[in-house]
Amino acid sequence: MTIAPAAAQVASRPQRGAPGLGRNRLWLLVAPMAAFFALFFLAPVLSLLADAFDKPRPGSVAPHGEFVLTNFQRFFHLAQYYNSALLTIEISVVSSIVAAILGYPLAFVIAKIERPAWNTLLMILVLASMQLDGVIRLYGMMVLLGDNGLINGTLIRWHYLEKPLPLMYNTFGVIVGTVQITLPFMVLSLIGVIRSIHPSFEEAARSLGASRWRAFRDITLPLTMPGLLAGMLLVFALASSSYVVAALMGGWKVWTLPIHIFERISNSGQWQFGAALSTILFLINISAVFVYQIVSARLTGGRT
Amino acid sequence: MAVVELVGLTKAYNGAIAVSDVNLKIASGEFFSLLGPSGCGKTTTLRMVAGFVTPDQGQILIDGGDIVDQPPEKRDIGIVFQNYAIFPHMNVADNIAFGLRMRKVDKATIERRVREALKQVGLVGYERRFQRELSGGEQQRVALARVLVTQPRILLLDEPLSALDKNLREEMKFWIKGLQKQLGITTIYVTHDQSEALTMSDRIGVMNKARVVQIGAPTEIYERPADLFVTTFIGHSNLLDATVKESRGGSVGLALGDGITIAAPARSGLIAGQRVKLVIRPENILLDGGDDSMVRLPARIDAKVYQGALIRYQLVAAGQPLVAEVQNQAQKAQYEVGGSVTIFWRPESTEALPIE
Repeated sequence: MTIAPAAAQVASRPQRGAPGLGRNRLWLLVAPMAAFFALFFLAPVLSLLADAFDKPRPGSVAPHGEFVLTNFQRFFHLAQYYNSALLTIEISVVSSIVAAILGYPLAFVIAKIERPAWNTLLMILVLASMQLDGVIRLYGMMVLLGDNGLINGTLIRWHYLEKPLPLMYNTFGVIVGTVQITLPFMVLSLIGVIRSIHPSFEEAARSLGASRWRAFRDITLPLTMPGLLAGMLLVFALASSSYVVAALMGGWKVWTLPIHIFERISNSGQWQFGAALSTILFLINISAVFVYQIVSARLTGGRT
Repeated sequence: MAVVELVGLTKAYNGAIAVSDVNLKIASGEFFSLLGPSGCGKTTTLRMVAGFVTPDQGQILIDGGDIVDQPPEKRDIGIVFQNYAIFPHMNVADNIAFGLRMRKVDKATIERRVREALKQVGLVGYERRFQRELSGGEQQRVALARVLVTQPRILLLDEPLSALDKNLREEMKFWIKGLQKQLGITTIYVTHDQSEALTMSDRIGVMNKARVVQIGAPTEIYERPADLFVTTFIGHSNLLDATVKESRGGSVGLALGDGITIAAPARSGLIAGQRVKLVIRPENILLDGGDDSMVRLPARIDAKVYQGALIRYQLVAAGQPLVAEVQNQAQKAQYEVGGSVTIFWRPESTEALPIE
């Protein structure tokens, strides 16, 4: 996505004979950022790792430097924990697929609309949904999906149903909530990519005999695949680490890893085990990046 | 091989006329260029023929049948884009095979025809390459092969040379023209480059402000421009202010200023007293070697620009500036700035055109 090229540009600048970082003290400009990064990202991550491999001591945060694998052994021995990891992956994968299926058409329409007014309107709608805090949006979803919510309430009142449909406090509810929260990210990452595909590719395909659908399937979709995969990776990362969605839409009945982490640390003070679970969540996300790299290399034939 | 006819083709975007009442008839096997400045409507016209733009009015007839209601994939028209649009996720062979696959041609035939097409464009051995591994000229050949392999009824070329550097452009001009002749495929070529249009075309349609202003062979367009726009757009022209003194069938007497009166050919419709421009190409002004059948005028040399094979003189004659281009030949005399000369031109190499 956009982060990598930007970083590459910054890195390559001193080599082009432009003023070097050292000579002109340009590094002073990045010093605050670097300090912030070291203090609030590197330090917590390192202490997280230190805690994860430390001997469990309920109520104690500070690492003691006693290297043990107890915390990880516990994770792999207890079904509730490793199943929770699988559930987290499942919810994240399904959410990213659903977000892709729902997001692509919307992004496609926004990217293809030529009238500025319509374009702006649709963009505002997408962005507006991001402006509202996630918790508030999720409460809105609860009003809609709850047992007495708009959907169930109406269907029962009109006697289509006797008992409410299980729309919330289950995996389904969490997936709906996750998709709702992450869809704008998917749409925004796709719009740019779809716009960057010159219309002449699709037109060339059409005049070579491809129907609208074949041109989309054989040309536009493969060319936008990198953006689609990047969007799915983004949704996966947001979904797998979301505590709020699982807590509100799952109602403490859907035990994803973030719920376990919160529960272990806040309720039981088991910092070391919580750190181990966090490390596993981190590894899951790193693996997702690898899967993304492999899939995108295969689907795009090494094209970037 | 097909005859293309555009009848009253018109298109507007949000009230702005892009193409207005275009009427053309292109013969089978003809190389026809649409030439004009950017925004003149030539590309929109081409895109209507290709089926990417729906005309507001008019017909597009191929061999007599109207194709306006057909989607692009049913038209059997090949188009080469300015950026070539080689599919970047397919190799050269798959790019060329694309049209045949869409036509559900069997695998063995596809392989054979892709091989033939590559041979035709001189790219044997490029099958497995991708777009990023091809130069601009190679991409263009692939784009042509991809289109020609489907044996389209018409070939459309949208500024195909503008992305190439100058030397390659010269080479490709002749190569494309040769290929077109050899295949005998009816071709519409869109360009803003007059030299491309003049060298390659059988006929040219010059467009300006959404209209076709002149249709004719390259010599006609260059030597008998229909109006002042064409004459200034194609090549360089001297435009001298003049007033019509008398008008008699096909010829006018013009007052040029300084009391000088000359004769010039003119199309009908000019009346005495009307202000016109007298059009003279710089290469048609002679500084020596004139004879009695020619117009002769005294002139002063204001400036001299040495251009190697050509010498360009800036002159003042009849109180008006004009430019003459003279072959720089060893036996010819050169004239110095500030000197007086007599200039000559053949009346039939000039024309009086009304001011729009």
